[in-house]
Amino acid sequence: MFKFNSSKESGSRSWILQRITGVALVVLMIGHYILMHYQPESGHTYGAVLVRMQFSWYRIIDLTFVTLGLYHGLNGIWGIFRDYNMKPWLNLTVISLLIIIGIAFLMWGYTIIFSIPYLGKTI
Amino acid sequence: MSEPIIRKIKTFDQKHWIKENLSYKKDSGSWAWIYHRVSGIALIGYIFLHLYSLSPLTKGEIAFNQKMAVYSSPFFMIVEWFLFAFVLFHSLNGVRIVIVDWADGAKYHKQLYKFAWIAGIILFITMGFIMFSHEILKIFK
Repeated sequence: MFKFNSSKESGSRSWILQRITGVALVVLMIGHYILMHYQPESGHTYGAVLVRMQFSWYRIIDLTFVTLGLYHGLNGIWGIFRDYNMKPWLNLTVISLLIIIGIAFLMWGYTIIFSIPYLGKTI
Repeated sequence: MSEPIIRKIKTFDQKHWIKENLSYKKDSGSWAWIYHRVSGIALIGYIFLHLYSLSPLTKGEIAFNQKMAVYSSPFFMIVEWFLFAFVLFHSLNGVRIVIVDWADGAKYHKQLYKFAWIAGIILFITMGFIMFSHEILKIFK
């Protein structure tokens, strides 16, 4: 049955993780939108970001958000590719590229978050 | 005795797959699938753009505020508003998919689809008001 697929997994783990991360992202997205758009300044000035980033829990939420967002998005793209009956070499190329893109952008996101300095005492 | 209805089984023509897909009769579920896919691709593209647009945070206050002034222009605000439409559709339809998968939603997925659209349009207009409230209130002053 899976003769032509390079992967021997059925994809059920990928499916359930897509559901779980999706639900988590909806919750995080509601918070993100309220915070960013209820007052226009909160998302669009360095000062506001700096103040917010003094709270470590806020950094943790942002790290979670970017991780889940990238995972969910790239896993979704992988799901689209899997709809087409790709040859094994193409399958391997696509998944490798997606993983490399994912890690690269994840590192970029983490770098941005950690580049914001802590001012003195941390909470 | 009435004759049993014999339906001819339609096969999928692999060679003319574009034509086959376009002529396929699409009900709400098909449209939901298409829109979910399109909005999903758009949103992952936006995550990359979003990381790019936030990257001046690493260069400090002046660089970041300069970039943000560009993104706060009316043009970008309207783009952001329509981005929210993509987020809304993907979120609400995503919830619909989870309900279909886990809560026997297959029995009422068409109603869920309608509900997603109604809730989506209301939230879209509300967000428009929240985002542009400063500009809207200026007109009445």
